[in-house]
Amino acid sequence: MKIYTQTGDQGKTSLISGERVPKSHPRVQACGEVDELNAVVGALAAALPPGTEAVAAELRRIQSDLLDVGAWLSAAPGSDIQQQLTPLDPDLAGRIERRIDAMTPSLPELKAFILPGGHMSAAWSHVARTVCRRAERSAIALVIPETGGESQGEARNGLAPAIVFLNRLSDYFFVLARYLNHHTGIADVPWRK
Amino acid sequence: MQLYTVHVKGRQWLTDRIFEIRFDRPSGFDFRPGQKIAFVFEQNSRDYTLLGPAHGPELSICVRHVAGGHFSPRLAAAAPGDVFQVTAPSGFFTFKPSPRPAVFVATGTGVAPFVAFERAGVRDFHLLHGVRTAENLIYGPELAAAARAYVPCLSQPVAAGGSTVHFTGRVDAWLATRLPSGGYDFYLCGNGDMIRDVMRLIDERFHSSHVFTETFF
Repeated sequence: MKIYTQTGDQGKTSLISGERVPKSHPRVQACGEVDELNAVVGALAAALPPGTEAVAAELRRIQSDLLDVGAWLSAAPGSDIQQQLTPLDPDLAGRIERRIDAMTPSLPELKAFILPGGHMSAAWSHVARTVCRRAERSAIALVIPETGGESQGEARNGLAPAIVFLNRLSDYFFVLARYLNHHTGIADVPWRK
Repeated sequence: MQLYTVHVKGRQWLTDRIFEIRFDRPSGFDFRPGQKIAFVFEQNSRDYTLLGPAHGPELSICVRHVAGGHFSPRLAAAAPGDVFQVTAPSGFFTFKPSPRPAVFVATGTGVAPFVAFERAGVRDFHLLHGVRTAENLIYGPELAAAARAYVPCLSQPVAAGGSTVHFTGRVDAWLATRLPSGGYDFYLCGNGDMIRDVMRLIDERFHSSHVFTETFF
C-alpha cells in the first residue's frame, strides 16, 4: 500500500466533512498541532524510566483520546459528519485532573519557577506541555469569534470537552515532568535571576 | 476489538472474477450504508464495503477474486455454513444529504458503497463507473434505474456491435469535458490513481465542491 496519495500536491487537503481547504487553513493547523502533540507523547512514552508502567498506560489512553479530538477538530461546524462522530467524553478533563491530584502529594512543594529538563522523559513531558498549549490556542481560535472562529452553538459545544481537555493536559504534563524527575531522583532546577 | 462470527449463506458470480457473497447477520449488527467491515484471519485482515440493505437478515459484500491472493480465494471457495470472523462496521464514507448535486465516481469494485447508498434509497445522483470492459459494469441496471445520470466509462475500446451507451475513456476525462463547472458533493471510491487524478480536477474546475474519498489498493 502506497503511503503517498498525491492528492495534496496543489496545496489543498480535505476536511473530514468534505471541504477542500488550503493546508494553511486554521482547522488543518489545529489538527496538525494535536497530531504533533500525539507524536511527542509517543516520544515521552518511549523515554519512560522503569517502574512507570501505569504512566505508560495513561499515555496510551491519552494518545487515543487525542485522535478523537483530532477528528472533532477536522469536522466543519454544523456538518453532517459531526452527527457520526462519537461525542467526546465529558469526563476527559476530569480523568486528567484525578491523575494530577494523585501525583501531586508525592512531589516537593513548588516554591519557584523551575527550568524544563531533567530526566529524558521529564524533558519530553515539558515539550509535550508546550506543544499542548499551542494546540489549545489553535483549537480555541476555531471557536472564539474574536479570532475569526467559525464554530458556534452546538458545534462549539461539541468541541468544548476537547478544549478543556487540552487545557488540563498541559497541566498534567507539567506535573508529570516533576513526577518523573522525582521518580528518577533528579531534583527540580529552580530559576535563578 | 469486538469480532462477530458470520456464516456463509450463498455466493453469486457477477463476472468471471467478481462475485457477491452473502452471510447471516449477527444480532445487533447495525451499519450505515457505505461502511465497511474487516475480515480477520491469521493476524491479518481485509476490508470490504457492505452492500446493504442496512436492515435485513443478511450481510453481503462484493469481492474481486485475486488469483494467488491471501484472502479472496478463501471467499471464492467458501461453502454455505463456512465461518468467518469480522469486525464491527466502521468508516465515514457515508452519504451526506446536501443542496449540492451528488457525483459518485468509482473504479472496479469501488462501486460497492454506491450500491449501498442506492439500496438505502439515495436517488438523483451522477454515477461514473470506470472499468476496462463492459462486462465489469457490475450492478449497472440497478444503479442506472436510480441515477440521474449513469455513465459507464470503459478504458478499452468496444468491439463493433458492442455497447454504445458508454464513454470511452477514464472517469476524469468525462468529468473534465462533460460535467459543468460548479459545486458538487464528490464521492470517490476506487484505486489511488483515480482518486489522485479526480482530486486534481476538482481543485482546478470544481472549487466549491466537497469531497469524500475511500481508497483501496
